[in-house]
Amino acid sequence: MKGNRHNYWQFRESASISDTSRFITGVLVSCGVLSVASLFDWWFREVHIGNITLYLILSVILWWGLFRLTIQWISYLKIKKPEIKPAPKDLKVAIFTTSSPGEPLSMFEKTLEACNNITYPHTTYLLDDTRDPEFTRVAEKHNAVWLELVDIPGAKAGKINEALKRVKEDFILILDPDHIPFPCFLDKVLGFFEDSKVGYVQVSQAYYNQHLSFTARGAAEQTYNFYGPTQMSLYGFNSSVAIGANCTFRRAALESAGGHGVGLAEDLVTAIRIHAKGWKSIYSPVIVSRGLVPEELGSFSKQQLKWARGVHEVLFDELPANRKGLSFWQRLSYFTIGTYYLNGLTLFLFIIIPYLFIWFGVLPAKMNFIDFIIRWLPVGISGLAIYLYVQRWLCHPEQERGIHWRGMVLKFASWPVYLLGFLLSLFNREIPYIPTAKKAVRGFSPYIYAIIFQQLLFLLTLVVVVIKRKYFTQEASMALSSGFVWGMVAFASIPVVISTGAIYAAFESLRIKTKEPWADVDLNKISCDEKTD
Amino acid sequence: MKKQIKRVSVFLLTAGLGAALFLLLAYAGKGTSGPFESLFSSLNSGIVTIEKQILNIQQKRLNSMNVFVKERDNTQWLKSPDFTLYGVYDDLTAETYEPVIQLEDSLKTKFPLIQIYTAWGSKREQVFPFLRVQAIYDLGSIPVVTWEPWLNDFDPQRYNWIKESEDPNKNGLSAIARGDFDNYIDNWAGAAARFGHPLFLRLGHEMNDPYRYPWGPQNNDPKDFIAAWRHIVERFRFAGANNVIWIWSPHPGYLDFDMYYPGDNYVDWIGLTALNYGTVATWSRWWTFREVVNESYTILSEYSKPIMISELGSLNVGGERDLWFGDALKLIHGEYSAVKAVLFFHVNSDITVTYKSLDWSFKGDSSVISEIKKNLKSVEFINEIVQ
Repeated sequence: MKGNRHNYWQFRESASISDTSRFITGVLVSCGVLSVASLFDWWFREVHIGNITLYLILSVILWWGLFRLTIQWISYLKIKKPEIKPAPKDLKVAIFTTSSPGEPLSMFEKTLEACNNITYPHTTYLLDDTRDPEFTRVAEKHNAVWLELVDIPGAKAGKINEALKRVKEDFILILDPDHIPFPCFLDKVLGFFEDSKVGYVQVSQAYYNQHLSFTARGAAEQTYNFYGPTQMSLYGFNSSVAIGANCTFRRAALESAGGHGVGLAEDLVTAIRIHAKGWKSIYSPVIVSRGLVPEELGSFSKQQLKWARGVHEVLFDELPANRKGLSFWQRLSYFTIGTYYLNGLTLFLFIIIPYLFIWFGVLPAKMNFIDFIIRWLPVGISGLAIYLYVQRWLCHPEQERGIHWRGMVLKFASWPVYLLGFLLSLFNREIPYIPTAKKAVRGFSPYIYAIIFQQLLFLLTLVVVVIKRKYFTQEASMALSSGFVWGMVAFASIPVVISTGAIYAAFESLRIKTKEPWADVDLNKISCDEKTD
Repeated sequence: MKKQIKRVSVFLLTAGLGAALFLLLAYAGKGTSGPFESLFSSLNSGIVTIEKQILNIQQKRLNSMNVFVKERDNTQWLKSPDFTLYGVYDDLTAETYEPVIQLEDSLKTKFPLIQIYTAWGSKREQVFPFLRVQAIYDLGSIPVVTWEPWLNDFDPQRYNWIKESEDPNKNGLSAIARGDFDNYIDNWAGAAARFGHPLFLRLGHEMNDPYRYPWGPQNNDPKDFIAAWRHIVERFRFAGANNVIWIWSPHPGYLDFDMYYPGDNYVDWIGLTALNYGTVATWSRWWTFREVVNESYTILSEYSKPIMISELGSLNVGGERDLWFGDALKLIHGEYSAVKAVLFFHVNSDITVTYKSLDWSFKGDSSVISEIKKNLKSVEFINEIVQ
């Protein structure tokens, strides 16, 4: 079994939180917050203002980003890991997984078989609208109940709500069909429901195909810290979020929230409504299933666009509507999640600033470069130290640790997607529901053209600068302007160099072999032993 | 209660250690600021050189001055040149020396000297102006740097003298002579040595005027001026900056020069300021060039050093400025044969003496331009270098 090399099929949980590690986190976070404060004090000085409009825009986006970062650091101080309790006997549990036309049958073979292997007594339901009799056959083969739910509005969430009406179980695990659950899945989560205030239990979302391509690796890297320390600290504030897959709900909680939320960010919406009704939530950093992450850039971008659009929906509609029921930290954490994809705007501005200078001679800020570096370095160093230190709470540190540069490359290349998502939300335009591709599809992502345009623009700018310097610059100003002009060109080249990785990913996506990663998974080798290797 | 004490102390310890870590980073940042600055400065001058080579930039001005350029690296020749070196200081040259070029074009000449001013201190712009002198050298000229020992711009954390003293300028020259500013001086000396080409340094000018600069006799014993000067020159020599040509530049209005003269071994040139304020203020009247410099020239020419009129300028109030310049140049080329260099003081906005801004510039005054053009002595030399 190929995946075994990566030790994917072993139960894992993140490290517990010792007093020492909490203390070290506290020291690093204090250092980080002071560094940000010192940068703040230096940044807002009148002498630093260049073009006032651009300075304000730059300040707002930079400080919005640093504010978010600081909030995240501070929330690490509340990092918390719930203790797994044995599952009570005789709970009535349903597992929902949905199938839609075009999704590969063989994937359901594997998922349904794995569901059947889950040891705690339960009923698996296949919520199907394929109108394909083969899906019925596969469901029955693996002891799953086949529910035909065609022509129901609201896509996946609509089907879940309809199925809720038809079944009687008190607890519902919603599983994405690409996720292969471990036999101990329910044993690890049901114990938390002994507390009658707990509305849902979310566990980590891990993958088993991230080694298959650059895109898959980068996409997975973007999630590691989130499913480890980030969600654990949100849990510390009782504001851990449901993320769709791998989430077990109490029926009463779902019903009090008016059923599963509908829309592009249906999971987030559901979580907000359940929190607003006063339910507690649990985030347990355990790996009890593994699924698929997009292997090629097109599907990755589609997924990101869907989230970007959906998350803004939460920001503009859901959050104001449910404001009253939420605690301060819940509001703050949903607000920071809701504004995550604003970094499309941030990246866009970061990219165009040098061009504004080179082409139009406009500068947002007049800052001494060395002063900036000296003030910025403590922020960068403590930020990196915190990022790396909290990785001790990753669910699978041996595999997931690192500076995650591939994730960074994909992020830099995703600004057109984020920006589009933001604009669609701003003007309230819809994008159709796009299921994340389960199997890699060949093709060139349309969003990569924006990146290629960015690269060409850089080359054109470079040529123009060379011609301007060689033929149209006064000799008497050459030496005095040289460092600054080429410094700006170097600044412009940073995102260009970084997003070159994404162009590599796009070409790799063209060559990628369409394959079925689940075919290689041997369910008998999944181990729920407590011992870690 | 015990639990509370424990909590508070853990919190204080955490925050305290965090603050200590931050201070360490900030301190390291401050400490590396100097090395960063010099790294950045050499990076910058490296970029200038690489750009020049890769883009194969034509150095037109430098090539047109080849007669002078042949001599300019010869420090001995520069200590007694065989023709008058003209130059200019223009205050609008922060981003480009184009104003100098424009003035040259209107005078149909090229200036072998270009002057800049800089003050002492720990600010970034007070380090050795490497890029500016390199830019001047790249254009084919020699930089003249007027280096003003203001002592109030130093970081008290790093300079004992500033910390201890209420007014750092009071007796500041003795602090310099004692070595309190050696760190700063050595940085300059090292950078000047790295520049490696001839460079005029006009240090602490008008040191005999008690009403102008803080290094004057109102704050210092003249003996301390001599001691400070010698100390600085020795630090430069020690750093190997033998390319520096020292200009000692007293104010012509006070004739007590000998009290301030550091000695033949420490001075290469003598500078002389010749500014006519006209009737702009109550204390001034229209002085001719001869009235301004005659007495001082007589004394200073005894020192047998080449003399540089380091600031030549006239305001436009109270007389005929074109004739003033013509007269000045005629005198320089006729009677005042020890004068080997003339720097026009072409300042558009001078707020150092009066409460309102004074305009010494003459680029727009065609009669002044034609009068100067007519009287530039080194016509043969200029013609040679303009061809």
